[in-house]
Amino acid sequence: MTRIITTLLLATAASAAAQGTIQIGAITSLSGRFATFGQMQQAGFKVALDEVNARGGVNGQKVELAIEDDASDTNKALTAAEKLVNAKVPVVIGAYASGITKPLSQYMARVKVPLLVATAVDETITKPGNAYTFRVNNQSSVYTRSLIDQLRKTPGLKTAVILTSNDAFGKSVLTDATKLLPGAGYTILGKDTYDQGLTDFRPLLNRYKGQNPDVVIFASYEQDAVALTKQVKEVGLKPRIIAGIATGFALPAFLTGAADAAEGFLVTMVWNPDVRYPGAQNLYTRLKAALGGAEPSQHAAQSYAAMLAAIDAVKRAGGTDPEKVRAALAQTNLKTAFGPVAFRTYGGYTNQNSVVGLITQVQEGKFVTVGPASAARGKLILGK
Amino acid sequence: MDPAAATALIQTIAQGLLTGGLYALIGTGLSLIFGVMRVINFAHGDFLAIGMFITLALFRAFNLDPYFSVLVAAPVGFALGYVIQRVILARLGDRLAEGSMLATLGLGLIISNTLLLTFGAQPQNINVAYATKTVQLGGVQLSIPLIVAGIGTLAAIGGLNFLLYRTELGRAIRATAQNPLGAELQGVKTATIQAIVFGLGVAFAAIAGVLLMPLLYAFPTVGENYTTKAFIVTVLGGLGNLPGAVVGGLVLGTIESLGAFYISNNYRDAYGLVAFLLVLLLRPEGLFGRTVKRV
Repeated sequence: MTRIITTLLLATAASAAAQGTIQIGAITSLSGRFATFGQMQQAGFKVALDEVNARGGVNGQKVELAIEDDASDTNKALTAAEKLVNAKVPVVIGAYASGITKPLSQYMARVKVPLLVATAVDETITKPGNAYTFRVNNQSSVYTRSLIDQLRKTPGLKTAVILTSNDAFGKSVLTDATKLLPGAGYTILGKDTYDQGLTDFRPLLNRYKGQNPDVVIFASYEQDAVALTKQVKEVGLKPRIIAGIATGFALPAFLTGAADAAEGFLVTMVWNPDVRYPGAQNLYTRLKAALGGAEPSQHAAQSYAAMLAAIDAVKRAGGTDPEKVRAALAQTNLKTAFGPVAFRTYGGYTNQNSVVGLITQVQEGKFVTVGPASAARGKLILGK
Repeated sequence: MDPAAATALIQTIAQGLLTGGLYALIGTGLSLIFGVMRVINFAHGDFLAIGMFITLALFRAFNLDPYFSVLVAAPVGFALGYVIQRVILARLGDRLAEGSMLATLGLGLIISNTLLLTFGAQPQNINVAYATKTVQLGGVQLSIPLIVAGIGTLAAIGGLNFLLYRTELGRAIRATAQNPLGAELQGVKTATIQAIVFGLGVAFAAIAGVLLMPLLYAFPTVGENYTTKAFIVTVLGGLGNLPGAVVGGLVLGTIESLGAFYISNNYRDAYGLVAFLLVLLLRPEGLFGRTVKRV
């Protein structure tokens, strides 16, 4: 009898506690091939939540993270989304990879719960997009365009090759680069794709070496970026500029994994600890602490900003009704240590944020921002 | 052909042969097991992953040079294979043919999940000073770890050949492969021989893992890709045919490299598979297999 009463009391206490908190849903890849990115995301969420809760939470309530692991798998992400929607979260942040996020965004629109995309870059997530999908990260064409703007300003370079992974993100980069490079005065000598997990890039890199291009552009996830970079050094491919579009190249693990082979690589990203937004250095320190001392990447900062935007929308909506939160998200206008967050609908894109694309270069084992001029902290060094 | 393109081509062929050498090393282990026991080892790639993770763990713990790990990985692989054969496969008895498939598949799952729980899912690599070092040979640039892998492959296969054709144990292994019952009647302890052979096969996979570690990165399911390659290699050369597996490996490595170099990288795995299908169609016994007599 006592036990039943205790259980009842506990149950009442638990439901009271549940009423006192707001759950923000998140889906990312905590295991599987995107696990490193998932850990970055988790750290970003945590830092944002701690910040908000330290200030007393939202509307008098504490904010909690309801995080689900999609195991780098689309079907698992959709199951996780269903679970979160059934748990009545007002908004979901996710997923990491483009290939998973695209179907997720369609599902979320169908069940009418807003989705905040923190990291995925594939164009078609917000173009045309839908009323329920909001993206904090730049779309892939901005990453590619900011690199090509930099190439346009670098005189004396004429030829380029492009190699990307054979997935939503890689193809997005390939299409954009193919479109933009000729306009910047470049002849494309070769464009190739590879299936993720390929371990031997040597034949392709040998072919490029034979073609001797001025510029080499890659788009790859984590392990491929490291293998690719090591093999570039191995085969002796030495272009004037060698660049990686975000993702795998924008990870601190790229610097440690590829070590001296990474030196001189240009990497496009939207956030680097040396950015000129107020609080960036402090955010870097907090993210690093949340990662147990490991170096944070832009993905952690993006996730931090997405979480702030989600909480801000819940605050302005005055509650957890997904429809009201969606309306509030559309009015977002935040200045964060990651950069500005405001969702605009323009040029075929729906609810797309816009952040200045940074060009960083690996110099002495660190990412140093070398472009654009307004953000640069160091000078671009050309090969040869 | 201009000199730059010619150098690039030679470099591609050289690297294709070296990569193929690694395929051969992996395929040899698989082929040896099949030749003696008629067991197809579906966990072969996972044993390779064990070799990689042993190297990784020793490097992390004692800063041990990856190549020295072979002194640990090979005996551990051998012992593991020996025990697995004794404890699991030997008990399958008459149902070895069908049973071994499920047993090795299951073993593979257990191994990759154990690695996942122990080391995590993220790809991990180790950085040694020579990981990205190269040598120049008349304009052709080759990576030192890749060359070491080639030499290691030669040594391992040469050693196996010596064992098989120059020692008493080798005679017993060959006898068991030819006719288990006959060997048994001549006083060969075939049960022990089979356990030794399985141990050797696993040790070969583990050695390949050690040689791959400085070149690549380890993650729990890294073996899958190599299991497929090992199958193609062994079938190309004729199942159970060791020299065939070596040539099969070199052929596969070169075909993949030249295909990716000349045609397109997108169909890379297809080149090997097309060669594989052609061999199956035209020479079902493998490139070097003996024609099967049909009664």
